[in-house]
Amino acid sequence: MENYINRYVEESERALKEVSAREIAKAINIIQSVYERDGRIYIFGNGGSLALATHWVSDFNKTVFSHNLDLHAKRFQAIRVPTTEEELSAWANDVGYDMVFAGPLQNYLQESDCVIAISSSGNSPNIIKAVELAKRRHVSIVGLSGFDGGKLHELADASILVKTEKGKYGIVEGSHAVVLHLITTYFQDYFDHYVGK
Amino acid sequence: MVLVKLNIDMIIVRAPLRMSFVGGGTDLPDFYRKYPGRVISTSIDKFVYLSINPSYFINKFIIKYQSTETVDDPMELKHDRFRAALVEMKIKKGIELGSFADIPGKTGLGSSSSFTVALIKGLNALLGKTMSKSEAAEAACRLEIDILKEPIGKQDQYAAAFGGFNIFQFNPDNTVDVEPVLLGFKKRSLFEKNLLLFFTGITRQAASVLGEQRTKIEQNFETYKKMSDSVYEFRDRLLGGDMRGLAAMLHEGWLRKRSLASNVSSSLIDLLYQKGIDNGAWGGKILGAGGGGCLLLIADPERHPGIREGMKKIAEENNLADFKEIPIKFTQSGTDILFNTDHYQV
Repeated sequence: MENYINRYVEESERALKEVSAREIAKAINIIQSVYERDGRIYIFGNGGSLALATHWVSDFNKTVFSHNLDLHAKRFQAIRVPTTEEELSAWANDVGYDMVFAGPLQNYLQESDCVIAISSSGNSPNIIKAVELAKRRHVSIVGLSGFDGGKLHELADASILVKTEKGKYGIVEGSHAVVLHLITTYFQDYFDHYVGK
Repeated sequence: MVLVKLNIDMIIVRAPLRMSFVGGGTDLPDFYRKYPGRVISTSIDKFVYLSINPSYFINKFIIKYQSTETVDDPMELKHDRFRAALVEMKIKKGIELGSFADIPGKTGLGSSSSFTVALIKGLNALLGKTMSKSEAAEAACRLEIDILKEPIGKQDQYAAAFGGFNIFQFNPDNTVDVEPVLLGFKKRSLFEKNLLLFFTGITRQAASVLGEQRTKIEQNFETYKKMSDSVYEFRDRLLGGDMRGLAAMLHEGWLRKRSLASNVSSSLIDLLYQKGIDNGAWGGKILGAGGGGCLLLIADPERHPGIREGMKKIAEENNLADFKEIPIKFTQSGTDILFNTDHYQV
């Protein structure tokens, strides 16, 4: 059993090491520019990726500033899309599952915003629909993908690709969680550095 | 993709000013048509703002900047950029435009091109069109260089449109490559802490300096080549946090630049610069085309109070009434539509 565990850890380690630091840095710059112009960050994904999106939003909106909430009146405005399960089911039921992200996003999305799309295959039709909407509006796209990156890898302005064999969801999602935490930690350190703890 | 415009409301757009470190002048076509020109620059937290207000009640073009112009036909406008943009884009009567800036023009911070990028992006938003950063930069270059025939380069339009630290490469085929310099917050704040920026109180039109510079590109070709090639070394020193190294490169670049045209410097600018060095600055340069504008110095923060004092004294002795220190921070955002209530049907 220990061998099995070690192999999984090694595989995760290998996948994570191959992620481009340059693309993560680009993603950080995109988020930085959205903060400067007081825009919003919309994040979405399916299944486990949606859970990652929700988790990241709570960290990013609060934990980034938690060392000194009082000093930072201007915080991030990260929003998971759709914001309610009701909205998700309404779009899925009434219009189609491929519109569950693009549908609600269309109501909010402004040029000063950015989107973070999470899809292990990089090909989920509902994710691609939302990303194409952002592309048409010239809104910057951060893509977190796995396997061979799929369409999301081609469309993203900052493409964080966790290269794996097809179907290795656990490895991909685990690495995505690390990258998302890295982004949160970067900004936490950034604000600590500029304003102090 | 044609977007359907649903309502008419004010649009607010802003573009950052820029600080250019190495390679200025290599963005002139006389050079980059023969050898790739390169510039390394960053946007700063000083902006040009533009508001665009279409109104059913105004049957005119009302343009507000330092003066106000009210005309029936944009061809009548004195302000050349407003005139060219409104005419080119066939904007209809019944509109009011106003511009605002954190810092006046002719300071060497690229504000006139920042203005143009903001204007073009804003007017496109009015027409229901969104633009990518490259499209906005290119459109501004077309307006200023091709239509208004200004003898300027392309670096300022790109710096304003993209934002952040970048290396821009101006290729012989007129394309431009943009390589972001991904600087972490520690190095970024280190650079901010070591840097001093002074407005000299001396202003000039970039065109007057660049005009002479352009005619001498052929004879100074090797110097320009060196300037273009040195952007990568500047980037590496920046990423390494080597403040003395950056200052030394700026100093060297400034000396080179002084040799490119007779009016890049003046005895008063030299005096200010020398005072900075005498008080402990490691190096620096005049920002922009030269002949006036802003002076950038890099020095140990402990030496900053002494440098400030020395500069102030020279400014007073020489009646530079507008001389002023400008505190700045680097920024990441480029030209952005900040307010637009139009929601596009897509």
